[in-house]
Amino acid sequence: MAKIDEVKEQVIIGKTKIVPGLVQEALDEGSVAKDILQAMIDGMKVVGDRFSAGEIFVPEMLIAAKAMAKGVEVLKPHLAADASTSLGTCVIGTVEGDLHDIGKNLVSMMIGSAGFDMVDLGVDQAPDKFIAAIKNNQNVKLVACSALLTTTLPALKKTVDAIRESGLSGFKIIVGGAPVTQKFADEIGADAYAPDAGAAAEKAKAIVAA
Amino acid sequence: MLTKKQNLLETIRGGKPDRFVNQYEAFDCSPSAPFGMIFSDPVMDASARPVIGGPPVKDSWGVTKAWPANVPGAFPVHDQEHKVIKDITQWEKVVKAPTLDYPQSEWDKCKAAQLEGIDRNELFVTVFGAPGIFEQVHYLMGMDDCLIAFYEEPEAMKELINFITEWKLKYAKLVCDNFAPEVIFQHDDWGSHKSSFLSPDMFEEFLLEPYKKWYGYYRQRGVQIIAHHNDAYSANLVPAMIEMGIDIWQGCVSTNNVSELIKKYGGKISFMGDIDNGLVDREDWTQELVAKHVRRACEENGKLYFIPCITQGGKGAVYDGVYDAISVEIDKMSKEMFK
Repeated sequence: MAKIDEVKEQVIIGKTKIVPGLVQEALDEGSVAKDILQAMIDGMKVVGDRFSAGEIFVPEMLIAAKAMAKGVEVLKPHLAADASTSLGTCVIGTVEGDLHDIGKNLVSMMIGSAGFDMVDLGVDQAPDKFIAAIKNNQNVKLVACSALLTTTLPALKKTVDAIRESGLSGFKIIVGGAPVTQKFADEIGADAYAPDAGAAAEKAKAIVAA
Repeated sequence: MLTKKQNLLETIRGGKPDRFVNQYEAFDCSPSAPFGMIFSDPVMDASARPVIGGPPVKDSWGVTKAWPANVPGAFPVHDQEHKVIKDITQWEKVVKAPTLDYPQSEWDKCKAAQLEGIDRNELFVTVFGAPGIFEQVHYLMGMDDCLIAFYEEPEAMKELINFITEWKLKYAKLVCDNFAPEVIFQHDDWGSHKSSFLSPDMFEEFLLEPYKKWYGYYRQRGVQIIAHHNDAYSANLVPAMIEMGIDIWQGCVSTNNVSELIKKYGGKISFMGDIDNGLVDREDWTQELVAKHVRRACEENGKLYFIPCITQGGKGAVYDGVYDAISVEIDKMSKEMFK
């Protein structure tokens, strides 16, 4: 098996201690950094798909993302000059009045693993915080808003409304969280809805490319 | 007409209930307490609880909890500064279990305040417990670190879980000595809306034996019913729930396909819930919306091994009127289905 394929396989099974060495070996063998990164992104797609299908669980996804992050650390010096590897910046946060962070963190990891640069605002974020982050960060292509409570569904709507009314453009909005549905996402004018972290990464790539 | 207590026992034992058990009615033994269950004791009362809009506080395990004014409940704070366990391999140096050493007079005060006046013919003496073992672990270290540590440092995680379990067993002894509970209503959330946090194998490896020990102790001390709150998808964990001795899984959300679970496991465990907060406990709720969901739950799940209930872990709802509206609709379904 080629080293680059090994990198992918070891990311999928979350070998955090093995992946950095394999990435270095792949580089030493002459693989291009961008291709190695793509192999890891492909690996994380497999992870996301398996999670969406219920074949693996949150710890497996977390260690895979951690393994990829360790590999990216090795790749970083080789990628720095090549901005084209990024799909853009994604601003993510849980909306005002909601302190849930587990789902948001998973989505952040998966979208990050798909090739976005993440700006994670954290939890309980008012609409103006999202707007400020869109203004203050370069190349924002995606805004991801999470709500885990029925009580914060109105805050999700308020956030999407405020972002739209701000006049800022050039990005798509994706929403998610346990009480959120495709119907609700459509009603509040979001560009996409994702039911889980694996699907979020795929939707993110698709809507930004559209 | 059966008492609330008899009716619940008939329901979970596959007997002849004369109506649906209406949500928490049989556990509602301490009306002035949160959720209507026995909640106060010297150990729990000594642990600081944040108040809404107040400053963050440290509970008796050292976990910082905050309750901002604009959110419906308190949460542990897990930034790097506030995590109790920053390195799981060093947990013994930082985790200090709360003292259990309180004068009997303090327990007596709690007994007097909460046990007197319970209609034991009608209601179970029910003690509320939270957090559970898994929750205590991730409160101490944060969810992400916790879930990764199951893979990266399994031995240290087992040691920590064992430490927490041993403490819970000592606490359980005090609870049994003083309250002689008939029902333990214990919280521990094990998943999200769509999946369990852990795979069934991992869940069994780390949590099955500790829970068997803990719930087994309660059983040995005469507790009749172990009711476990877990408002998540956990259909894949039901065999483990049965093995650890859970009689009623409260909080089973609709994504579990409760009617299938009843067909598969009815008689070994009962299911309480299937009326999701997410579907009915909304700003725009109506009696008709509630009626629709209650009807679906009752018709799909039937009369045995099922207790229709809001999925949250205690009597009440976020929006005023929702809990009572559900109760009204359950009574209507009882009249219709138990003719």
